[in-house]
Amino acid sequence: MTSAKAYKDAALAARLSDRVYRPAEDSDPSFTAEVEKIGGTAAHLCFQCGTCTGSCPSAPRSSYRIRTFMRRANLGMKDVCLNDPDLWLCTTCYTCSDRCPRDLIPTDVIMAMRNMAAKQGIVPKNFLATVNFIYNTGHGVPNNDANRVARVKLGLEPEPETTCKYPEFLPAIRKILEAYGTKQLADKVLSEGQ
Amino acid sequence: MVYTGKNAAAAEAPEEPRIGVFICHCGTNIAGSIDVPAVRDYAATIPHVVVAQNYAYMCSTPGQNMIKDAIAEHHLTGVVVAACTPRLHEPTFRTATANGGLNPFRFEMANIRDQGSWVHMHDWDGGTAKAKDAIRIAVAKATKLEDLYPMSVPVEHRALVVGAGIGGIQASMDLAAAGIETYLIEKQPTIGGRMSQLDKTFPTLDCSQCILSPKMAEAGRTPGIKLYTLAEIENVEGYIGNFDVTIRRHARGVLTPNEAAAKGIIGGGCTGCGDCSNVCPVVKPNEWEFNMAPRKAIYICHAQVVPLIYTIDFDACVKCGLCITACGTKKAIDLEMQDELFTIKVGTVILATGYEAFPIEQKKEWGYKLYDNVITSLEFERLICASGPTIGHLVRPSDGETPQSVGFVLCAGSRDNTGIGKPYCSRFCCMYSLKHAHQVIEKIPGCRAYIFYMDIRSFGKAYEEFYYRVQNEGAKFIRGRVAQIQELPNKNLIVVAEDTLLGNQVQIEVDLVVLAAAIQPTAETEIVRRQFGVSCSGDKWLLEAHPKLNPCGTTTAGVYLAGVCQGPKDIPDTVAQAEGAASAASIPIHSGHVELEPYYAQCMQNLCAGCGMCTRLCPYSALSMTVVDGRTVMEVTAAKCKGCGTCGGFCPGGAIKMQHFTSPQILAQIDAFFLGGEQ
Ligand SMILES: Cc1cc2nc3c(=O)[nH]c(=O)nc-3n(C[C@H](O)[C@H](O)[C@H](O)COP(=O)(O)OP(=O)(O)OC[C@H]3O[C@@H](n4cnc5c(N)ncnc54)[C@H](O)[C@@H]3O)c2cc1C
Ligand code: SF4
Ligand code: SF4
Repeated sequence: MTSAKAYKDAALAARLSDRVYRPAEDSDPSFTAEVEKIGGTAAHLCFQCGTCTGSCPSAPRSSYRIRTFMRRANLGMKDVCLNDPDLWLCTTCYTCSDRCPRDLIPTDVIMAMRNMAAKQGIVPKNFLATVNFIYNTGHGVPNNDANRVARVKLGLEPEPETTCKYPEFLPAIRKILEAYGTKQLADKVLSEGQ
Repeated sequence: MVYTGKNAAAAEAPEEPRIGVFICHCGTNIAGSIDVPAVRDYAATIPHVVVAQNYAYMCSTPGQNMIKDAIAEHHLTGVVVAACTPRLHEPTFRTATANGGLNPFRFEMANIRDQGSWVHMHDWDGGTAKAKDAIRIAVAKATKLEDLYPMSVPVEHRALVVGAGIGGIQASMDLAAAGIETYLIEKQPTIGGRMSQLDKTFPTLDCSQCILSPKMAEAGRTPGIKLYTLAEIENVEGYIGNFDVTIRRHARGVLTPNEAAAKGIIGGGCTGCGDCSNVCPVVKPNEWEFNMAPRKAIYICHAQVVPLIYTIDFDACVKCGLCITACGTKKAIDLEMQDELFTIKVGTVILATGYEAFPIEQKKEWGYKLYDNVITSLEFERLICASGPTIGHLVRPSDGETPQSVGFVLCAGSRDNTGIGKPYCSRFCCMYSLKHAHQVIEKIPGCRAYIFYMDIRSFGKAYEEFYYRVQNEGAKFIRGRVAQIQELPNKNLIVVAEDTLLGNQVQIEVDLVVLAAAIQPTAETEIVRRQFGVSCSGDKWLLEAHPKLNPCGTTTAGVYLAGVCQGPKDIPDTVAQAEGAASAASIPIHSGHVELEPYYAQCMQNLCAGCGMCTRLCPYSALSMTVVDGRTVMEVTAAKCKGCGTCGGFCPGGAIKMQHFTSPQILAQIDAFFLGGEQ
């Protein structure tokens, strides 16, 4: 499910390829409410001005359109949102959230949707690889030799004040990832090899 | 109000109160969610109630007649109508009460609709119970009501207009034409306001100055208008009919011919020749041209100023005296001139203080004041105007070149809930941006105009047609709010937005960007508002008495609003409101007197200890101390009192009586609520 918009569930694939929006089937009002609750932002106030997409560093490089996700959130288009690979192209830079004239936080709408998608086991592999990096090193982007050289050059210690320097805290981080089921999810989805 | 003196029965106090209760169905508005017959039967059991009736529409003529007839038949001493709100129908039912021969202030209203059936629409029993409570409380007050008489005060046959933009000019001309001597006060050295800074006006594209300057000239020479420029309100006292307003005339440094004559300088005073300005060595940026042109320390803002009298900027003047020599025998210049204070008496006041641009540099993503070629729409008006700093040649500030592509950013700071911009729509930017696009297409062959918009609000007469015309002329419309603007090394600008109809980000390089900056009330509006005790809405625009039914009035009697100070509006709407305000302001003046509601405070001087603390609390300066029989006591100027009750609630000795809201009346209501009810 990483690059091509192909779905293993045939019924879902058929529904998502239907280009007509039929509120009765395609809209789940509880989705809007859930997104607002998790995201902590009143997404239904979006007036589709496009400031978010205009601000988005991902937009000129991909098919990801944050404004479109805001629209879908408000129409309750749960399946479309959670199954669209574009959901994972937000860099979480929060520029849209700085500029939205309605004072919404579009980034957190995306985060809410990602949360819900992950609970359904819909996560791209590279995100899960990051989970494993954190599990193993405490970092999504672990320290490396090039980095260490650069740090020493700047007069810093080679290892930052994190699990890199204090590996004894790693078990605690692992515990957190296990307590929330993040690690198990990563293992399960990665083992299914999709 | 139609009633004559005291009702004979009421005069024979003290007597047993006899109250009539009238319950309205308001169609199904009330009867649909409240058991009206049950409420009526309950009302009949409340002590002192001698008649309880219900009817489909109490406000109708048959409904009002029921009240009138019942007063006669049952010798009522008080009337309670349970219906909508006092704001809507108190005057109606007071009149009905008076028509029945009772003093109209013996009427009390119970709100069982807006605060009853409407809020408890799905709670039949609860709504019914609440209506019974409301009626019981109203009856308790009605048993204690007293005869009251509105006060009639004479109205001064003069008016004051603050601010001389197109709104203030129009209002003054109307008042003067109606035979009312009108003071027109303008803080700038010239009248005209924003409209005199505009080039053309949408949708007809007539030249702004051409249609405005005849009015400016007329306002300047009409005998009925006493014009004071470079003047501001210093202090306000009084009330409708009798405002005492102190005006500060800032030192202008230059005498008018009349002022010169008064000083015995024959044939002297400023003729507007400009000889002084030619010799003045001090050069300053001209604020009126948004600092895009120079002026001298002695100057006029532009060629068509009214009055045509030069002004000295004393902050810049070095007092070299060259201008005095240049002025010669006209002896118009007085470098030692001081501010002057004088007080006028007026019956009514119109505020027309207009607007200013929101400081759009606060929205950092658009780079105003950071990038040379990002300008505001008002600056654009000056640059495209034939009498402006570039004689009408639109140039970009960085290099003076003619732009070949211009981006117009709409809703710049309007419709913005971030707390930095303004949440409201500034209302005229859509239309003037269309006008600006038309102007660049017309004046610069081949120039491209991009309009970045969220919605085009072309709601006025012939406005949509103007939109059609500009689209037809080739302006490019991009539906998307501009997210950011970046400057290139050659000072061109990249405007970044989403074309929301295409669903793609667009990055368009242009030579010049014009921000349709939001507008806000002028800084002085807040000061003037407080001086006249006028309210403002949350967005700081002055608040009208009613958004639909009284858009020119304010909650302060005798003070009216005209133009943008009440909220964004274009010239046609400004002029319409100005004419409405002038008409409203002339009514009390022409009728010669006004009736004030008798809800004022009264000092029971035998109880007053003379501490005087209330005088400082009163927001309307209605209270003062006086000596009666050797004792210092408080005295109320009834006409100034608005009946707010601040003093009455405060007085430690309970010496202040708030008419129509007396302590016994309010206590009776509280008792009725807590102690009464269906046992
Ligand atoms: C760029 C731009 C283009 C526009 N183009 C058009 C157009 O084409 N057509 C159209 O219909 N409308 C247009 N408008 C709108 C137009 O400018 C306003 O509708 C109009 O100027 C409102 O007039 P006003 O009298 O209410 O306020 P103003 O013109 O602001 O006048 C208020 C006056 O009150 C004075 N004042 C303020 N406070 C005090 C005080 N405390 N004491 C004394 N004096 C005071 C001010 O100095 C000023 O002279 C445009 C607006 C902008 C910004
Ligand atoms: S910037 Fe805000 S209001 Fe505009 S489209 Fe994006 S989320 Fe909606
Ligand atoms: S008038 Fe148009 S440009 Fe101005 S704030 Fe309103 S919608 Fe935006």
